[in-house]
Amino acid sequence: MKKFIITTTIFLIYSFVFYVVLLYFWGQYASPRFKPNFVYKIGSGGHTYTRLSEVKIFGEVDILFLGSSHAYRGFDTRIFLNNGLKTFNLGSSSQTPIQTKVLLDRYLDRLKPKLVIYEVYPEIFNLDGVESSLDVISNDKNDIQSLKMAFKVNNMKVYNAFIYGFIHDLFGLNKSYYEPVIKGDDKYVSGGFVERKIDFYQPKKLEKREIIFKDYQLAAFSEIIKTLKKQKIPLILVYAPIPKSNYNNYTNNNYFDSIMNRYATYFNFNEIISLNDSLHFYDYHHLNQKGVEKFNKKLIEILRENNAIIFESLCKK
Amino acid sequence: MLFNSIDFAIFLPIVFVVYWFVTSKNLKLQNLFIVAASYLFYGWWDWRFLSLIFFSTMVDYLVGLGLLKEENQIKRKILLLISVLVNLGFLGFFKYYNFFLENFIKVFSFLGTEIKANSLHIILPVGISFYTFQTMSYSIDVYKRKMEPTKDFIAFAAFVSFFPQLVAGPIERATNLLPQFYKKRAFDYSKAVQGMRQILWGLFKKIVIADNCAVYANLIFNQSASYSGSTLVLGALFFAFQIYGDFSGYSDIAIGTSRLFGFELMKNFNFPYFSRDIAEFWRRWHISLSTWFRDYLYIPLGGNRGGTLIKVRNTFIIFIVSGFWHGANWTFIVWGMLNALYFLPLLLTNKNRKNMEIVAKGKLLPGIKDLLFIFLTFIQVLFGWIFFRANNISHAISYISKILSHSLFTIPKFAGMDKALPIIILVIIFILIEWFGREGECAISRIVQNWYRPIRWSFYSFIIFLIGMFMPTVESPFIYFQF
Repeated sequence: MKKFIITTTIFLIYSFVFYVVLLYFWGQYASPRFKPNFVYKIGSGGHTYTRLSEVKIFGEVDILFLGSSHAYRGFDTRIFLNNGLKTFNLGSSSQTPIQTKVLLDRYLDRLKPKLVIYEVYPEIFNLDGVESSLDVISNDKNDIQSLKMAFKVNNMKVYNAFIYGFIHDLFGLNKSYYEPVIKGDDKYVSGGFVERKIDFYQPKKLEKREIIFKDYQLAAFSEIIKTLKKQKIPLILVYAPIPKSNYNNYTNNNYFDSIMNRYATYFNFNEIISLNDSLHFYDYHHLNQKGVEKFNKKLIEILRENNAIIFESLCKK
Repeated sequence: MLFNSIDFAIFLPIVFVVYWFVTSKNLKLQNLFIVAASYLFYGWWDWRFLSLIFFSTMVDYLVGLGLLKEENQIKRKILLLISVLVNLGFLGFFKYYNFFLENFIKVFSFLGTEIKANSLHIILPVGISFYTFQTMSYSIDVYKRKMEPTKDFIAFAAFVSFFPQLVAGPIERATNLLPQFYKKRAFDYSKAVQGMRQILWGLFKKIVIADNCAVYANLIFNQSASYSGSTLVLGALFFAFQIYGDFSGYSDIAIGTSRLFGFELMKNFNFPYFSRDIAEFWRRWHISLSTWFRDYLYIPLGGNRGGTLIKVRNTFIIFIVSGFWHGANWTFIVWGMLNALYFLPLLLTNKNRKNMEIVAKGKLLPGIKDLLFIFLTFIQVLFGWIFFRANNISHAISYISKILSHSLFTIPKFAGMDKALPIIILVIIFILIEWFGREGECAISRIVQNWYRPIRWSFYSFIIFLIGMFMPTVESPFIYFQF
């Protein structure tokens, strides 16, 4: 028995080293079709690499934005700066509460925000979090938080990306990487915002669907709320505008609103401002720059009206 | 709990450690622990159905005790009937109730009488077809005085619920497995290592081969109307390797896991796709079920004895029942009948026991004749799998009709075909490993037996790597769970 346990343990160690080494070379040289569970894209869409590089040197902020692509494409840091507010946008593509928690734990103390605005899009509560985990692992440092995230998401692609990313971090293989400010139609703006070249949306018929919450995403969401409460940082939840043709296809919007209202001060901008599906959006769920300006203006106005004390104290600074 | 899940990866080492380090000094305690672990394993899926296993265990245990005391033949028959009725009653209700109801409605409707009856939303308890057959074998063997009934309820409960083979077999005979619960198990290093090897190979078969083939088999079968005949052949091939990898993979994990706990289960698959005729195939495919039907149905019906008509009748009965055992659908019945038709010419010409040894024993490659017969047998099996996999009979017929059209001679084409290439390569490698390891108990054991440890370990590690690289990201249950 003793021999079996010792042999098995040594084999597991041997096998792990073998796996790590082979994964590195396989990841480097194998054809994509032979690595279905290998996804490691540094500098992937949404400028996550640049954003997560900038956050490390950005310093303290007045407002921190969290959320999915609706956050980094929806909260224009320049508009807030023009209103006297230094902000940073930590949003990333398909970011679910699991990744938000990781990023918050990593950068909250560094940014020391006076207010957190968390963009909540119903779909993110029903995602498995794989896409965003891969994005965060590929474009940020990898530590114990990343490993915990991988366990939570529990997907082979995420485990492989974590191992590969860890090797890259260990040997500093990503140091020479440079991400251009302009990539395709996207332009990175200091503070984490990504401006999209103006484009318009032609509304299409979408299927009716229901907003569904995954238990583990809701649990991570609760943890985020707890963390912010513990640090006494005020939190505002914002449902950014999406085209009416999309919004009205959700059969249980009231249910979503009621859940969000339970957690913190919540504003559903689909019920607050009226935007034109064609003129203010570039696809079925993202605002174009015209829409962003209208949305941000209204948000600032509402913050002034509803959170006068917090807002004024932020602006005085 | 699935063998290919993180839950099981945590469960197995914990059970192993407690089993050997905490409970090993007391046999009763160790058996009790097996029962507890097995009930936890099963309850992980749905704890409500534990009551079925417990009830089935109680009935067969009490029937066994009754048979021990009873000498009156009529009363003994009644006791056996109770066991059979309870087990088949469970199976009939959970698995076949809706099938019979729907078919009765159709028959009466055909005869002009409309019957109003609602089908029930019945959840099929995982593994019910396996453990009911296993417990029934106990009652039948005790009735036939092939074995002494047990008085040890814990040992009997452990025999019925033994977690490695509880949900998808091998369907063990009480005469083989139950006595293993009576005696103290000693840890055997070489058996444990062999068990680990078999678990690894089983996981490869299930996760890399079966689950990836399933993606393309499902794609092609679900949209068969829009594909060419050649693509449909490819779809059937994917299914052939899906079902083999899935079920034999499960059996390997079950047998390997049992070895870690000092138990020997019967072999369930013996390289069936290298069979040279259909009789050999059925001696190598799902052996525990085939032999169960042989011993408890075919032989009691008269087996090969009697005239030609009796032989034909018995063959059809055993294959149709075997097909029906797989599921409440006409497709399985037709699949069974088809296999009976394949088998009968061999039986009637006394050629059904021609190929008893593994093909090309002691040789590297098969002869041309063997290769031809392997190919022809595989074609027969493949044809049968179309019925097995199709949603209904008309689906199977349209699938076959399309294969037999001129589009059979076109190049196969389906969405995502370029992604299937690595899977096809892996299947070819898998076939080669199975071929070179066919004389061993488990293919990889035979291949690596003379290798130096570093090479052997690198080979195992490479298999682990392939599992990590090709594992589908959605956990898929074993096909045979639905049976």
